Amino acid sequence: MKTPNPLALIAEITHRCPLHCVYCSNPLEMAAVSSELSTKKWIDVFQQAGKLGMLHAHFTGGEPLARPDLTELIAGARSAGLYTNLITSGIGLSETRLQALVEAGLDHIQLSFQDSREAAANWIAGAKAHAHKVELSRLIRRHNIAFTVNLVIHRQNIDHLDEMIAFIEQLAPERMEIAHTQYYGWALRNRAALLPTREQLATAVEAVSAADKRLAGRIRVDSVVPDYYARFPKACMGGWGRKLMLINPAGKVLPCHAAEVIPGLTFENVREQTLDFIWQQSPSFQRFRGEEWMPEPCRSCDQRTEDFGGCRCQALLLTGDAAATDPACSLAPAHHIVEAALAEANSSAAVSQPVPAASFVQLQQRAADLWSYRTNPE
Amino acid sequence: MPPPEDSSQPRLATGCRWGAESKTGSQRERVVLYPEGALRLRDTGLLILESCDGQHTFGQIIGELQAQFGDADPAKIRADISQFLEQLKHKRIVDY
Repeated sequence: MKTPNPLALIAEITHRCPLHCVYCSNPLEMAAVSSELSTKKWIDVFQQAGKLGMLHAHFTGGEPLARPDLTELIAGARSAGLYTNLITSGIGLSETRLQALVEAGLDHIQLSFQDSREAAANWIAGAKAHAHKVELSRLIRRHNIAFTVNLVIHRQNIDHLDEMIAFIEQLAPERMEIAHTQYYGWALRNRAALLPTREQLATAVEAVSAADKRLAGRIRVDSVVPDYYARFPKACMGGWGRKLMLINPAGKVLPCHAAEVIPGLTFENVREQTLDFIWQQSPSFQRFRGEEWMPEPCRSCDQRTEDFGGCRCQALLLTGDAAATDPACSLAPAHHIVEAALAEANSSAAVSQPVPAASFVQLQQRAADLWSYRTNPE
Repeated sequence: MPPPEDSSQPRLATGCRWGAESKTGSQRERVVLYPEGALRLRDTGLLILESCDGQHTFGQIIGELQAQFGDADPAKIRADISQFLEQLKHKRIVDY
């Protein structure tokens, strides 16, 4: 049977980024700058995506603004009929550049914040970025585009979630996304310092629910309970090869941003194959599509059409087997791995505290025992 | 959340817009694109949202649909449209 066409394209246009967030989900091995796709190739990819019936192009990275041709890329995606979404830290976005992006057809901007408190935000990001983001929010509101504020929460900031929600409220977005850290890439390295306690989580869930009621009709509040604490795993990417295609800076086409960690899979490149071929034919997209690959207990579980067995990358990272049931699932044979991490998080005191520093290098040295800061590709 | 008033002029929220139109047989279908997804609309849902152009008032939209669906209970039509728009406002797809 022909697989229904994908709905959205995630365009990871560069792995370069001026921030060094300790929970960055980019791979530890990043695509080199010299391997990045050209402007022309990206525009061709957007044309193919539009013809395949995709609806959205999500521009991400790294920091997409690190590509000087971003305006052309947005215009290219828009003229291919795609809704354009820029997921950004805002670093590198001046008033004139924002104006140009909006004129090129940018529909939505999603700006990430690290905290409501400047010192803490800069510490997590490994860069002095907070004040610029606040200023940028005001500029964004002068344009007729949708605005989402994203905030990643974790053990170090979750206790003042109410304050952070109030902070976001005064930035006046249409939508706020309260995202719990997901443990891939740099976040998995730093998990002990990031995983909240059960009590912290319960308080946060209440804060989000109260905010959703209070802000109804003004600001949409989106938040998902972190999978380590959930009964069933998340339907990662809406299921492997079911809805989304991600293209990395070097042109490799992946079912999700972390898929390259899975050994034995070869990913096609848009330089050699069409999106249509890759979606329908490539072994990598078919590997975990459908139910054939599923082990027990997934194979006979009623949840399999909801969560598709959870996340393949998380299964690999935690159990060493990408075809295992996601250990976040309470029914998974390897659930004890997640339980052990939770037991540790709920027994020890918070692992680390902010270290003030004048520069990223200094910060990296001082934080060496506590954190791994995200680096940049060569 | 308060329902729309008769004088409200519902419209797509900032950053939401119409996407492609398609046809299956005589059935018209259009999508509304918003930041994190898309809404596929046909039948009455499509009629209602197409009237949400920032010009028509909520009262006019109800009147038009009541006229078009004369057999149905007018109070139910009003309640259904109101609920539909309230849900979309909560999702920040519609403003009124």
